Amino acid sequence: MKKNIKSISIFLLFVTTICSASGQNKPRYQLPNFDKVQLANGLVIYFMEKHDVPIISLDAIVPAGAVNDGEQAGLASLTGTCLKCGTKSFTKKEIEERFDFLGADLHTYGSNDNAGLSTKFAAKDKDKLLPMIKEMLVNPVFSEEDFDKEKKLTLIGLDQAKESPGAVIGAYWNKFFYGKNIYGNVVSGTVSSLTPLNANDARNFYTKYYNPAGSAITIVGDFKTGDMKAILTKLFSEWKKTSPVARAVYHAEAVPGNARILLVNKDDALETTLYIGGAGITRNNPDYLAVQVINTFFGDKFTSWMNNELRIKSGLTYGAGSYFDYNQKTGSFIISTHTANATTKATIDKALEVINRLHTQAIDEETLSSAKNYMIGMSPPQYQSTDQLAGLLIRMFWYGFDASYINNFEVNVNAVTVVKADQIIAKYFPKNNLQFVLIGKASEIKPVAEKYGTVTLVELKDDIGKGF
Amino acid sequence: MKALNICILFVLLVYGFKVNAQLKASDVRSFTLKNGMKFLVMEDNSIPNANMYLFFKVGSRNEHNGITGISHFFEHMMFNGAKKYGHNQLDRVEEFNGGTNNAYTTENITAYTDWFPASKLGLLFDIESDRMANLAFDTAIIESERGVVHSEWRTDFENSPWEPIGEAVTAAAFEQHPYHWPVLGYETDILHWKKSDLEKYFKTYYAPNNCVAVITGNVTFAEVERLAKQYMEPIPAQPPPPLVHNVEPRQNGERRVMVQRNVTTPYLMISYHVPATRDSDYYALDVLNQVLSNGHSSRLYASLVDQQQLATDVSTGMAYSFDPFTFNIYAQCSDSIKATYLEKAIYLELDKIKKDGITENELQKVKNTKLMNFYSQVETINGKSGTIGDYEVFFGGYKKMFDAPAEYNKVTVADVQRVANKYFRKSNRTVGILQTNVED
Repeated sequence: MKKNIKSISIFLLFVTTICSASGQNKPRYQLPNFDKVQLANGLVIYFMEKHDVPIISLDAIVPAGAVNDGEQAGLASLTGTCLKCGTKSFTKKEIEERFDFLGADLHTYGSNDNAGLSTKFAAKDKDKLLPMIKEMLVNPVFSEEDFDKEKKLTLIGLDQAKESPGAVIGAYWNKFFYGKNIYGNVVSGTVSSLTPLNANDARNFYTKYYNPAGSAITIVGDFKTGDMKAILTKLFSEWKKTSPVARAVYHAEAVPGNARILLVNKDDALETTLYIGGAGITRNNPDYLAVQVINTFFGDKFTSWMNNELRIKSGLTYGAGSYFDYNQKTGSFIISTHTANATTKATIDKALEVINRLHTQAIDEETLSSAKNYMIGMSPPQYQSTDQLAGLLIRMFWYGFDASYINNFEVNVNAVTVVKADQIIAKYFPKNNLQFVLIGKASEIKPVAEKYGTVTLVELKDDIGKGF
Repeated sequence: MKALNICILFVLLVYGFKVNAQLKASDVRSFTLKNGMKFLVMEDNSIPNANMYLFFKVGSRNEHNGITGISHFFEHMMFNGAKKYGHNQLDRVEEFNGGTNNAYTTENITAYTDWFPASKLGLLFDIESDRMANLAFDTAIIESERGVVHSEWRTDFENSPWEPIGEAVTAAAFEQHPYHWPVLGYETDILHWKKSDLEKYFKTYYAPNNCVAVITGNVTFAEVERLAKQYMEPIPAQPPPPLVHNVEPRQNGERRVMVQRNVTTPYLMISYHVPATRDSDYYALDVLNQVLSNGHSSRLYASLVDQQQLATDVSTGMAYSFDPFTFNIYAQCSDSIKATYLEKAIYLELDKIKKDGITENELQKVKNTKLMNFYSQVETINGKSGTIGDYEVFFGGYKKMFDAPAEYNKVTVADVQRVANKYFRKSNRTVGILQTNVED
């Protein structure tokens, strides 16, 4: 009796919320205005003024990611990292000391299909730092000494990262899932691929792939757009456009025809760290937002079906969730969790049960409304700071979406109906021939893994990619 | 969690330029209910959202042997149902209304964080007052949540060698004070807490007079005050929790611990006893902390990682605390470098500061860094609530946030040299080494 009364009161609360939400015509959050220019060399620059705090965030993105590594896995990553290791005008020490002295953040990187730079500094310091930022992107020198130091740190870092299964399972997944596809390239590299690399490889990689055409800079913060346009145009017009090069070509990865399990043996594992998944979507898929709505109740929010079954109701794990991991050309869908060695089977069975439920149980209005309200309510805090906004503009450029994504967010999220939800689930959420990566104690969990498909057993100490 | 902030006033003092984002003590408004619950409110209409952070002054320092980790376990139980919002309903209702939440536990406090559309402020008061007044203790749910916490403990150990070395060093550094045990507790205690332990803990520590609430966002002070009186004031105050009377005796000799784990290269942790956050030496120690490890141009990174290539990484830290705690140095050895060799190299760098002090340039760098950290914090409503709460709880009042610039400006190079000599003594340190081979 009490239970029924409680349910009714909760239900009334939901009804109230739906009514009040439908009464709001004006979207709650709109993206601030921004400006965009393209320089003669092809570089695109976005400007967004934000004056509440006297700081500036700047992001740069270049099509120079690990998809271009070929046999030299890790080269794009090292090249990106070494952008800050000295330029024609500034030594590594000068760059570090100036950024540190001014309390500024600086990060340079090479990722899967892009490379770039990210920085945040006090608005008053822009004249001291923007020329250095330009130099890092336009005139890096890649000295032997600094390159070798970074390479040494990276090589030790590869083994250190394996001390944390959660830190490396993503790299195993990408290699296992994408295979010989360019997105299967191991971004951080392996011991065997990194060892022969030298500074000249980085210089060649830079010359070939760091081209202003196809690149973008976004700058958000306390400046006047007109002034900043003049400054950045002058600085970055120096970036010479190079001849187009033959880039690595993306060929769609093969759709797995059977369930496969990559079991990575860690003899001293206390728990099994695991991914289950399949094919995903790209960021510019027209159904991207609808897919996110479904994933929100399936595996994103705390009370999602996945976390509810694996954590809240059963106590099998501290956390379970799912997400669509997208790149520019492709993507995958991943369910991620961890559990004690002894409960590995119970956890996988429960996860598969939840996937099955998604495809067999009709989605009700309340479930859908909760996901939609959650997405809408949690959206504005993601676009508050200068670095959040600079990152958003970079993603717009790189993945090919525009301000309407933010400005129509509420309307488009609310447009996902239960009928649409069923279509989206059937079309985009993997159900058959699931792929698994398990990092754990093989002597205990191999018999469990074999129940779900063909098992490939590799050792954690070996290079990622060896044996599969 | 550690926040390094100073106020905008600092900018005016040091640089003398105009700042748009004027944040001053009077922007934070405060009231205290009749039951002793204190509220700090900051209106901010930059986005249509708000947050509510509740800081309860209870953490692992309030535990004893047999119930270690119960503060953290309790943090979990606060999400498992109360009178009006039953098991799983708190999260479901909050998410249905566009909000979400989280929480964290330290040695000193347990903090609960809600983020939500500002229009749902009343609902959040309803939810928070429900669990503060009428938390449920269902045996089956306790057992299920025990599994969750055990998994959290396990995954922390599985994924970070810093967990076992940190526990070993801290346990050796504190022989009598309850900082001795880890926040997550001992595994055997995790498996043996009783329902009665939880009920007693709730009544003792989850009283309104042991809580400070911080609310920032698109709300009005009047609305917050009205809702607080409606929902929170009826919850009765409790007798003040028992004081933690243990005082760690002065350490009179270096302590060393060794931990086995299969790792690529050895991990090294060095802990020095330092005073509580409220001590007047805090600011000079914090400057020292920054000079040693903030950025690649810092003393330890530049010397050990870049120039000598003895370490792959190095960092230092000093967490906020109610009682005297530790200043920690963490480093990972480079390939083929022995931990003791790296350790000596660290002491050489510390000795340089003890002998010659730091430079004016380094002192100014720290002030610049603190200003940027502050800017980043006040960019978001969550940064504001977190910072205000930290100052209120650890520094003796949120207004201290606005005194910080003067405190940092008072720090001289001589002060930094003085605290380096005062605390970085061999007899005051505990050294931990974690490596694969511990038999040689």
